[in-house]
Amino acid sequence: MSRRYLGEFEEIVLLTVAVLDGKGYGIAIKDDIEQRLARKVSVGAMRTALKRLEGKGYLKSELGEPTAKRGGKRKRFFQVTHAGREVLEQVMDARKRLWQAIPYTSIDFKFA
Amino acid sequence: MKEDNDIRPPSLPLRFLRWFCDPAVLEDVEGDLLELYHRRSEHDVKQARRKLTTDVLLLFRPGIIRKFQLPDNSFFMFRNYLTVALRSARRYRGHTALNLLSLIIGIASCMVILLWIQDEMSVDQFHEKKDRIYKVWRNMHQSSGEILTTQGIPQPVVVSLRNDFPEVEDATLIGWDMETIFRMGDEVDYEIGKYASPEFFRIFSYSFLAGNPGTALSDLSSIVISDRIAEKYFGRDWRDDEKILGKTINVGSNQKDFQVSGVFEHPGSKSSLEFDWIINAQEYIQQNDWVESWYNGGFAICFTLRENATLQPLQDKILQLINENTNYEADERLFVNHFDDNYLHSNFENGRPSGGRIQYVRILFVIAIFILVIACINFMNLATARSSRRTREIGVRKVLGAQKAALRQQFFVESFIMSITAVVAALLVVAAVLPYFNSISEKELSLNLGDPKLWIGLGVVTLISGLLSGFYPAMLLPSFRTITSLKGHSKQTVGGVRMREGLVVFQFILSILLITATLVVNQQMNYILSKNLGLNKDNVIFTRLDDDLRTQMEVYKSTLQTSPAVESVTATSGNPLSYGRSSGSAQWAGKDPDEEVEINVMSVDEDFVNTMGIELLLGRNFDPQLATDTSNYLINQVAADIMAFEDPIDQDLTLWGQTGKIVGVIKDFHMSSMYEPIAPLIIRNDPSSTFVAFIRTKGDIQQALEAIENAHKELSPGYPFSYEFLDQDFAAAYRTEMTLSKIVRIFAFISILICCLGLFGLSSFSAEQRLKEIGVRKVYGASVVRIITLLSWGYTKLILVALVLAIPLSFYLLRQWLNNFEFRIELGASAFISAIVITLLIGAITVGLKFWQAAITNPVQTLREE
Repeated sequence: MSRRYLGEFEEIVLLTVAVLDGKGYGIAIKDDIEQRLARKVSVGAMRTALKRLEGKGYLKSELGEPTAKRGGKRKRFFQVTHAGREVLEQVMDARKRLWQAIPYTSIDFKFA
Repeated sequence: MKEDNDIRPPSLPLRFLRWFCDPAVLEDVEGDLLELYHRRSEHDVKQARRKLTTDVLLLFRPGIIRKFQLPDNSFFMFRNYLTVALRSARRYRGHTALNLLSLIIGIASCMVILLWIQDEMSVDQFHEKKDRIYKVWRNMHQSSGEILTTQGIPQPVVVSLRNDFPEVEDATLIGWDMETIFRMGDEVDYEIGKYASPEFFRIFSYSFLAGNPGTALSDLSSIVISDRIAEKYFGRDWRDDEKILGKTINVGSNQKDFQVSGVFEHPGSKSSLEFDWIINAQEYIQQNDWVESWYNGGFAICFTLRENATLQPLQDKILQLINENTNYEADERLFVNHFDDNYLHSNFENGRPSGGRIQYVRILFVIAIFILVIACINFMNLATARSSRRTREIGVRKVLGAQKAALRQQFFVESFIMSITAVVAALLVVAAVLPYFNSISEKELSLNLGDPKLWIGLGVVTLISGLLSGFYPAMLLPSFRTITSLKGHSKQTVGGVRMREGLVVFQFILSILLITATLVVNQQMNYILSKNLGLNKDNVIFTRLDDDLRTQMEVYKSTLQTSPAVESVTATSGNPLSYGRSSGSAQWAGKDPDEEVEINVMSVDEDFVNTMGIELLLGRNFDPQLATDTSNYLINQVAADIMAFEDPIDQDLTLWGQTGKIVGVIKDFHMSSMYEPIAPLIIRNDPSSTFVAFIRTKGDIQQALEAIENAHKELSPGYPFSYEFLDQDFAAAYRTEMTLSKIVRIFAFISILICCLGLFGLSSFSAEQRLKEIGVRKVYGASVVRIITLLSWGYTKLILVALVLAIPLSFYLLRQWLNNFEFRIELGASAFISAIVITLLIGAITVGLKFWQAAITNPVQTLREE
């Protein structure tokens, strides 16, 4: 397990931030995951994941303008860093290699 | 406040979030939550509120929670607090000692009492099946409306329990304590034991050292003995000898041989049943077939219920069991209760349990609480009074930047050091005094350091006393203004003084309650022991009449009469001062045959009335010259009232099928405890069924004892000789009360002592504070007495208030207690006056001592300070 380990949920959050391309902040990310993947996301789980990803240097963030909707609180927009992009690619590579290594019969069996 | 249309987000969860959340993410997180809230509240406000709360709670997780940091100098600060605490404790040495002493005494007393209570509660708790063991009781409904409750149950009930009640696992008969003669070679002695069914040892868990508890009593000629008896009759080394089982021992007046089939460990005081031998009850029943009747109650009955069975159906079925089998001739109903309840709840009134030893347990528990409260109040009062000396120190600390929280910590650290020290010292004190307390209370208490309850208790006491004493100074002092503290002004707040005064009053109320209780309990005990019982119990020796003596009664009596130290001799069927053999079968003219009256029946010879000093009210005594007198009767006043003859003399009375005349009425004498009224009594003139000889002595008691022993040796060399004094035996019946009153007296004294320690501490403190005032007064010519009265008045006032409040309260409580006694003292003023005098005297001495010291100080010394 390399130091560039990504948890399953972390990966999803990171990918979603990438999808939202700089327009991702807390609620937006949460909504996007919930819509796209049809799974419930708690504010706590997401917030921990964001904090951890930022700590690992895969995400960077900047504060936006305060809005009345948010009780005068500013939004924090997230963006994937270079390191974040690398780690996502790594994960994808690893997956790809694994997929390619699966014998044809096994997949056939799975889809049968 | 929270209305449904309130669309504002709930503030409590948000405040919580702001408190714990890492400031780096707080703004963002809160914004998210609010945005979500607004979106959700468009649908359902209530749900949005709920969800916000759950979201906040879910955010309470590592990663989001900010780092809480202790200031990194906490260890050094703690060390500093310790140093300062020790310095100030040393500086006011007397004060510290006083403070600790009262807390140590208080905690130690409390612990001793709780150990005593724990021991009382543990009696009969060692039986493995205790939750399923029940005891059967019989309520005899008298025509007078009174209900007599007895444990003597007709023997057929046990047969019915075994056959007709499938929910009963085992049932046993348990005989009354019997003193029977044991013979083994040269060793001859009386031993106390019981007859019981073979199931006895299956129901109760007495531990066996030899033999099998399940089968030990199956044979009629088997006997199970205690280790004490085994050692006495089979030698110290009976354990080494495997063959004690099957050995024979000769038991009883008919000298039958029994085989030892088991040896059990004597249960000691942890069991309410105490016995040294058990023989199969069938052995007794075979020789006494009267037992097998539904109309007689001899044995007690205990049984175990099967696991998971319920008691109620049995309760319902057993209620009328006797009545159904006796055609409702007398109304006698059965009920059952938990066997292990009986030790503490042994008294019955009108067919319901009405206390017993549990009352003593409660009284002592209250005393334990009193003492602990008094001690804690002292601790608190002295600590708060003292803390005002520390204002300068607090001022300096504040100037150096100490925060209020830190100052509070400091005071709590100090008070906990004190309370921990006190608890540890109290533990040592308890270990040291337990042997003495055991000899007073006749118990075998010990400190079990492995008991978690002990440590929990000590922890709680430490915590309570630490918090109590630390609370006031910790809350109040740090909030004084820094400038005033630095100047050293320690102006006591009115509230603080009021609180202290209130607590002192409260302490004294508790102490006065204990003083009056001690006095009244003592008076009642003396009253009982010296009360005219209706017969003269002094100078009477009694001794058992064994079989050899009973066959030679006349010779025995005349031999004794030759001694100049013997005044007269009588033989009776039992000790008249604790007599309980009764019958419901007496008949007389005018008695409704259905009416049930339980009357005591005593068999005596014609010397009974004279020897015991009983007053004859009507008629005459039994006359040895009249042969017909052997079928005649004497009755007591209570019986005469029940029979309600205009003139009872020469009326017919039938008892056990024998009709005779009432020849005389004697004055009532007490036949049982003072808790109960005097029972009716019929006295039969039947020397053949007497078992105890009562010998009234005159002059030299030693000489009388020698004469009695010689007569015994001469006429009955095969039986051991023993004797007792009637008055001592009577006093022993009140042993529980005597022991209890002794214990109460000790702890009442302790509570007063602690109270005085507290008062002494407070008065010395206020004397110290007013030294200058005293000096000035002296300069202006005030006398020492004048100054002492002036200073003492503040405290005298408190004691007076306490007296006014406590006296009516104790009057009420003590009247309740005295109502337990059928024969009791009138609650007079004397006890209360003594209590008032004692309290005022003690208070005055305590306070006056310190003030006198202050008042005689030369004013030059106190005034020159500035």
